Amino acid sequence: MKKYNTPLIDELEKGPWPSFVTEMKKAAKTNEMSNDALGHLEKCYSTKIGYWKHGGIVGVLGYGGGVIGRYSEIGEEFPGVAHFHTVRLNQPSGFFYTSKALREICDIWDKYGSGLTNVHGSTGDLVLLGTKTDALEAIFAEYSSRGWDLGSSGSALRTPSCCVGPGRCEWTNYDTLGLTYALTQEFQDEMHRPTFSYKFKIKSSGCACDCVAALARADMSIIGTWKGDIKIDQAEVKNYAKTMDINKEIVNMCPTQCMDYDGKELKINNKECSRCMHCITRMTKALKPSGERGATICIGSKAPIVVGSLLSWVIIPFIKVEPPYTELKDLIRKIWDWWDENAKPRERIGEVIEMKGMRSFLEAIGVKPMPQQIKEPRKDPFMFYTEDDIAAYKAKEAEEKKTGKYRF
Amino acid sequence: MALPQRKTDIGPPHYEQFLPPVIKKNYGKWKYHEVINNGSMVHVAESGDKLWTVRVASPRLLSTATIREHCDIADKYCDGFFRYTTRNNVEFLVSDEKKLEPLKKDLSARGFKMGGIGKCITNVVHTQGWVHCHSACTDASGLVKSMMDELYDYFEKKTLPNKVRLAVACCVNMCGAVHCSDIAVVAVHTQVPNINHENFKNMCELPTVIGSCPTRAISPDPAKKSIKINSEKCMYCGNCFTVCPPISIKNPERDGVAIVVGGKINSLRTNPKFSKLVIPYISNEPPRWPKAVAAIKHIVEVYAANARKHERIGEWIERIGWERFFSLTGIDFTFQSIDDFTFMRDTMRTASTFKW
Amino acid sequence: MEVAELQDKIYAFCLAAKGKKKLKEKDIIKGVSAELSLEPDEVKKAMRAMIDVGRLMYSYGGGASSVEIPSEEYLREKGLIK
Repeated sequence: MKKYNTPLIDELEKGPWPSFVTEMKKAAKTNEMSNDALGHLEKCYSTKIGYWKHGGIVGVLGYGGGVIGRYSEIGEEFPGVAHFHTVRLNQPSGFFYTSKALREICDIWDKYGSGLTNVHGSTGDLVLLGTKTDALEAIFAEYSSRGWDLGSSGSALRTPSCCVGPGRCEWTNYDTLGLTYALTQEFQDEMHRPTFSYKFKIKSSGCACDCVAALARADMSIIGTWKGDIKIDQAEVKNYAKTMDINKEIVNMCPTQCMDYDGKELKINNKECSRCMHCITRMTKALKPSGERGATICIGSKAPIVVGSLLSWVIIPFIKVEPPYTELKDLIRKIWDWWDENAKPRERIGEVIEMKGMRSFLEAIGVKPMPQQIKEPRKDPFMFYTEDDIAAYKAKEAEEKKTGKYRF
Repeated sequence: MALPQRKTDIGPPHYEQFLPPVIKKNYGKWKYHEVINNGSMVHVAESGDKLWTVRVASPRLLSTATIREHCDIADKYCDGFFRYTTRNNVEFLVSDEKKLEPLKKDLSARGFKMGGIGKCITNVVHTQGWVHCHSACTDASGLVKSMMDELYDYFEKKTLPNKVRLAVACCVNMCGAVHCSDIAVVAVHTQVPNINHENFKNMCELPTVIGSCPTRAISPDPAKKSIKINSEKCMYCGNCFTVCPPISIKNPERDGVAIVVGGKINSLRTNPKFSKLVIPYISNEPPRWPKAVAAIKHIVEVYAANARKHERIGEWIERIGWERFFSLTGIDFTFQSIDDFTFMRDTMRTASTFKW
Repeated sequence: MEVAELQDKIYAFCLAAKGKKKLKEKDIIKGVSAELSLEPDEVKKAMRAMIDVGRLMYSYGGGASSVEIPSEEYLREKGLIK
């Protein structure tokens, strides 16, 4: 095996933080591809430019995603990375593993690939970095026969992902792991066979802490919430008062100013609470949501390309999230139908909603306008009226004349 | 050797088989948790069962050798069960307190770094960079390593007014939640792309390329059967390069990094926020990006010295005002920080009530 | 219409676009079902069966997925021709 001199990236083995260069070197000890990846990276560091080409046409028979083609422009110099494709494995909900399962994943990867991974990629897949085209079918047969399917790529439903939820968190309002598994199974076809105009991501967080960054990173963000009161354990409040200035740190930081503490008892005007989670996360032993649990559905977030970043917009303030999740699955299908009908190539759903108007989208999925959906109403007087809208306003006025009572 | 029979559309394995018994038993019935220190926390179930978590840093780019070492540790202390986090950490879970200290001791002896829980700095969400991406204009892993070496104390032992979420994107595609991080680095191009007209004809669809441009800088060039780019309109986003390989935008001496601050994702106290541009350009300086790292550390330190308890960076800045942020940090305010893309209306000041 | 005949039509539809336009699944389903007055689902099923055996293939380029006629190189790699 060729020994590369790597003075620049060797610098990145110094210091306390774990080094990715050390990882590459570990893999390179026995793996020609990783060894060339090291040399390849050193060259990038010396010239300050990357050498990977655009993704190419690679994959496993019948699937349109899960493998991302990667070729080097300087493959002759570094033959081990001339082909260096990524394989995405669909991670288990919540990123839980057993050592047995992960060793099996490693064994197969050492046999066919570079021995390098990302645990995990940004979307959530377990990413296997670097293999050759002729190994892909074997890799798929080995993994799928052992229960591991590929994740997604391209113009498809991307691998759904979630927070740890009921696995290890007292704040979750629904079973994020169960929902993510159920949606992933329900929409296998949409994941593996790219039929959309562009990517579509679904992420599920159990509460407004949003540990999976659903609100910023998913076309459909499912954020857990509740409808009942926050239950207060006053004895625990007293305990917190020993180490915390409750008025300063909790009451005064409440965004709706719905709390009151007189030094003895904490009170919450639950009707005015907007469920932001600040007080609950700071006094987790003392405060607990109660009553009906479910989620807020938000739509549209994405990174800046093409005309600026979006955060997801509230579409459905509250929905129950319980197996078999029929209502949610139906909603997702309706959303896709409208998107499919209206999107130009490479348009995310948020962009299409901006183009076509929120009304068109909400009507298509059968959701009424609600003040919970907006931060503030429109500021300009330019608006569409349909004939039906005017007829409805006129009918309301006719009714008012009969009853003698205004309904605004 | 014959390959096993492939199966399609099976989806991921069911997560239940990977849950340790204490989690299966107490699934959805957790009562509260306490952060013990930056490296560990304990969750207590309604049943009284306890689950200790030890969080360990990872460079995200892992060799199978290191994953196997994680497996060995899990076998020794956690009955083979463990998990990873959305921010690329490893978490070892024990339900028997007696195993906690030996686990930590072993991790430490093996050189694993524990930390990142609570009001501190945890692992960095980042992209592939030069390691594996075609559109990278810097190396994400190298930047992350350099940043975290410098901020390491905030991972392992120091605390801050609240958590500080860091991210690195190796181009403006921003795979990962860079656009809503407390502090993030985003690599930027600064020059109009070049076009290989000869290849354009064969490799690119004209309407797609024209449509890819957010500033409508691209128009057809019928004579060349290619396109023209209006240099007065181009903002170097590189989206045309994404859809059309013969357009090249990489330039080693002009590509650099920008720093954005004040984003957040959760809804605690204030609504989620985008990160905002404060330092428009720092040259790419591999292997350790000293100026970018120094800038990030400086912002963290000014925040630590000035923010109130529980305030995230964005909340602190909103309270004191952006003019005060710039004066406290001493960062030069430049034209690039004034939006001239899509958000100008929302971002210019419309009152005379600002601070000197 | 027999499935084999429908598949030949789908193949011809893809062949006509080759080198001119990158077809998405949707383009083929819409185009062929309109041309032959068939239910979109029928076309989709027939097209998917072709993809499963390598008569058509999914492709990716310019930031989006498409469907096209496989190259010899692809067929050789999949062991479908020698």
